[in-house]
Amino acid sequence: MWHKISWRLLRHELKRGELTIMAAAIVLSVTAVLSLSLFTERLQSGLLERSAEFLAADRVLSSRRTINESWISEAQTRGIKTAERVVFNSMAFADGELALVDVKAVGDGYPLRGELRTAGEPFGTEEPAKGLPNAGEAWVASALFQELNLAVGDSLEIGNSQFTVSRVLTYEPDVGFSVFTDSPNVLIRYDELEQTGLIQPGSRVRYNVLFAGEPSELEAYEEWLTPQLNEDTHNWRSIEDGDSPLSRSLQRAERFMLLASLLGVVLAATAVAVAAQRYCQRNYDVVAIFKTLGAEKAQIQKIFILHLLLLTLISISVGLALGWFIQAQVIEVVADQLGASLPAAGWQPYVLASATGLVSAVMFTLYPLLRLIGIPPLRVLNRQLTGTDKLRWLHWVASAGTIYALLLIYSQQWLLSTALFVGGAMAAVLLLTIGRVFIRASRQAGMQAGSSWRLAMAGLQRRAQANSVQMLSFATAIMLLLLVLALRNELLADWERQLPDDAPNYFIINVAGNDVEALQKRFNERDIVSNDMYPVVPGRMTAVNGVPVRDEVTKEAGGDEADTATNNAEQREGFGRELSLTWRDELPPNNTLTAGQWWGDDPQPQVSIEQEVAERMNLSVGDELEFNIGGNTFTVPVTSIREVNWASLQPNFFMIFNTATLEDFPATFISSFNLPPERKSELYDLFKPFPQVSLIDLDAVMEQLREVIEQVSIAIAFVLVLVLVAGILVLLAQVQASMEERQKELVILRTLGAPAKLLSRSVTYEFVILGAISGLIATLAMELSLYILQTQVFEMAATIHWRFWLFGPVSGAVVVGVLGRLACARLVRRNTAQLIRKLA
Amino acid sequence: MLIQTTQLEKEVTTQDGTLHILQPIDLAINAGETVAIVGASGSGKSTLLSLLAGLDIASSGDVLIDNVKLSDLDEEQRAKLRADKIGFIFQSFLLIPSLTALENVMLPAELAGHKNAEQQARELLTKVGLGERLTHYPNQLSGGEQQRVAIARAFIGTPKILFADEPTGNLDSTTGHKVEDLLFQMNQESGTTLVMVTHDAELAERCQRVLRMDSGQLTEVVRDVA
Repeated sequence: MWHKISWRLLRHELKRGELTIMAAAIVLSVTAVLSLSLFTERLQSGLLERSAEFLAADRVLSSRRTINESWISEAQTRGIKTAERVVFNSMAFADGELALVDVKAVGDGYPLRGELRTAGEPFGTEEPAKGLPNAGEAWVASALFQELNLAVGDSLEIGNSQFTVSRVLTYEPDVGFSVFTDSPNVLIRYDELEQTGLIQPGSRVRYNVLFAGEPSELEAYEEWLTPQLNEDTHNWRSIEDGDSPLSRSLQRAERFMLLASLLGVVLAATAVAVAAQRYCQRNYDVVAIFKTLGAEKAQIQKIFILHLLLLTLISISVGLALGWFIQAQVIEVVADQLGASLPAAGWQPYVLASATGLVSAVMFTLYPLLRLIGIPPLRVLNRQLTGTDKLRWLHWVASAGTIYALLLIYSQQWLLSTALFVGGAMAAVLLLTIGRVFIRASRQAGMQAGSSWRLAMAGLQRRAQANSVQMLSFATAIMLLLLVLALRNELLADWERQLPDDAPNYFIINVAGNDVEALQKRFNERDIVSNDMYPVVPGRMTAVNGVPVRDEVTKEAGGDEADTATNNAEQREGFGRELSLTWRDELPPNNTLTAGQWWGDDPQPQVSIEQEVAERMNLSVGDELEFNIGGNTFTVPVTSIREVNWASLQPNFFMIFNTATLEDFPATFISSFNLPPERKSELYDLFKPFPQVSLIDLDAVMEQLREVIEQVSIAIAFVLVLVLVAGILVLLAQVQASMEERQKELVILRTLGAPAKLLSRSVTYEFVILGAISGLIATLAMELSLYILQTQVFEMAATIHWRFWLFGPVSGAVVVGVLGRLACARLVRRNTAQLIRKLA
Repeated sequence: MLIQTTQLEKEVTTQDGTLHILQPIDLAINAGETVAIVGASGSGKSTLLSLLAGLDIASSGDVLIDNVKLSDLDEEQRAKLRADKIGFIFQSFLLIPSLTALENVMLPAELAGHKNAEQQARELLTKVGLGERLTHYPNQLSGGEQQRVAIARAFIGTPKILFADEPTGNLDSTTGHKVEDLLFQMNQESGTTLVMVTHDAELAERCQRVLRMDSGQLTEVVRDVA
């Protein structure tokens, strides 16, 4: 019988709109979690797919020895696409001229991700390449055309082979940001590698196998393969392992999405918590009547548990449908903008979303429900009776536990969840305390004000306990909204800063010392923005504090240089090779000292080292480093350690010396500059007088980076909207709940003849004050959290957001005030008799 | 003897000390009797009613309903006893706002596990003159109509005892009289024992016995038999 009663109550209450807020809260939590996780999952795999272009594959295995054939065939049997790529340095000859080149021999299928682009002439219009060079042909980077005075159709000799230069190689997806690949690239077919005779035992060659396929297959293959790899000789990586501006942006975006979604989940859960409390309070009378009519506790338990479960299940279903729909719409918009479809997501988001709805509904209702079931039947005669409050601690434990569990389920990260949770708990205590102080203070201020104000102040004061809890949820909602908003702005601004419109899109290297001035003059004449010229002196680090450093370089270093804005993992394997050393009077932009002092005018020889190198090699200020430059050995002390922003598109160095130490060594110079794409044709003219200068084009890479950032921005805007909706729902639920408490008082005042205007005004003022105080506290809390997030999670510079100090309180006052007024208007509109009857 | 109390007392402890709400009360009510308890506000009428109905627990003394000692029962058993033997009518009607008139009346029978709850409820509602308003919600009914629904609900389990707390207190006098008539008529037909708390002297007069509560002391009002 009880299930009939339960279902009947649910049906009617749903129809009569009495469960709307509770249902909406659950629907929202499910919708938010589902759409967010579906969306992020799909977007992420989409982004990964695109970013894979930077590797020209999903995964790359590289080694200095040939790679086991059986590993490749195993991948192929698993349905994974593979392609070989072998890279080495060699001399190339053309018409009596010679130059050092990077030869890249690639197998069929290369590139597995992204595309090659070529042009018919140097700096000509590029087009996507179809396939690879034909047998006997080579595609050559434009820089080599300058260096060797080549023309398309000329012959190029590499090792024992002659190649016809058939196209200008303008873009390789996997070229990376490496600036010191000072030898231009020559692309040939893998099957023509052997006959060059250049691959001998002991040659400095890097063998790569590229892999691309379904994520699940790749993961399975990875599991199979990695135990067999030798850490010293093999390097297995994916785009996420990189240290490039792109992977950093991606990681930041991922962290942001995760964080914002977490905050959204917390907000939605808060809405459920507020609504659950109200749901139970509304049923106090019903339970008392049930008991009076002879219902047993077990019956009441069953009735309400079923009621709640049904409500939850219905809400979850609606939430799932809605979440899927919203996500599909957003994806459509994003896909439209990107001209690509995003891969479908798995089933996990659905489970996650349902679990979130169920867990929050059950856990947040646990205590209110216990209390509800404990309502004494005597309440039918004495309406003040609300049952025992002894288990209140249970409520806090259950709610806190639930929020923590949700954070954990969603992020699957102990540290982040715990940090957020502890931070949130501390913020809550702080908010409660500050809230009470504010309410007390505003009472003083309000005494002098007009009668609506006085009434509002009196109300605030009287309900200080309830109000500070309310303020907690208002402030939390506003704070999370501000936080997400500010963080989004920061993140976008940071990317903008990193990729401003005039970001350098070309690097120049090999500028001779006596050309520096002339080149700078040419830049100035043509209004081209360039970075400083940095001298580069190749040298080796040979000893630390008199102890020689094991230098692997002599045996096997690749052609890669170490210390530039680089994303190639192999370039960071330590100093097994010559370093690019530079000297400079001032600390370069995007570098910050973390230890020691910059030298200023101090002429004593000294060096400043990059922080990660210092950590890896266990170096600190005061250590004596020995360097060898062209046979000259000297020793310098480390006087400072720098943190370098590798994402900045400028030359960056591991080792910077003061001018006195290095200036007498022969050096070439490097720099970067910006040239808008439409002025590309000027390049040839620009560099004609400097034939030995090599040019590296970063345009394509930056274009990719911009696209990725654009997609992420859309995602972030979407997250923002969801969090906004969640926040407003919390506010709405809270206002609604507090309205019920106020009802009685309103009725009394109304009966005593208080005009509707006075009442609605005083309620509005009360909410405006509450909102403003909450907004102010929220801004403070937001600023603190943002500081921690920016410095600890996002590794950005912390900033103060002055605008929010106005925006927070004002928006709090307006939104909460408007919601309060709307809720109150309904009450005031009813006539007094109706109200009294409702309360009776 | 259907209802019997021996030395029934109720005290509450407040900040200012112990408050004696009911002085020791000995009372006996026979099956089929109609009894009114009158007295000023705060005299303890409603407290007595709540003890008699097993909604509250006495500080000392006993209540026997149909020879069952309430102090021997726990909350669950008291609920069961109410379900089996007791019906209620309240001043504020206490209908469940989200259930229709019919469903409100069915509720006690359903809770007690009766099979033909709906049929019984229909009949009772027709009897109280609301046969046309079965699917209306309480807020769609007037006060008098709501109280009639409450009366129908009170009678559905064919209770032995009916407790009424100011049944016409919220109604205007015309409506009040109609509700009174209905209440007494149905009571007579079913032979229920009626215990009613009221301010209304006229209403009290319609009962066979009138008990007066004064500062927790209960005295029988002896009337001239007309």
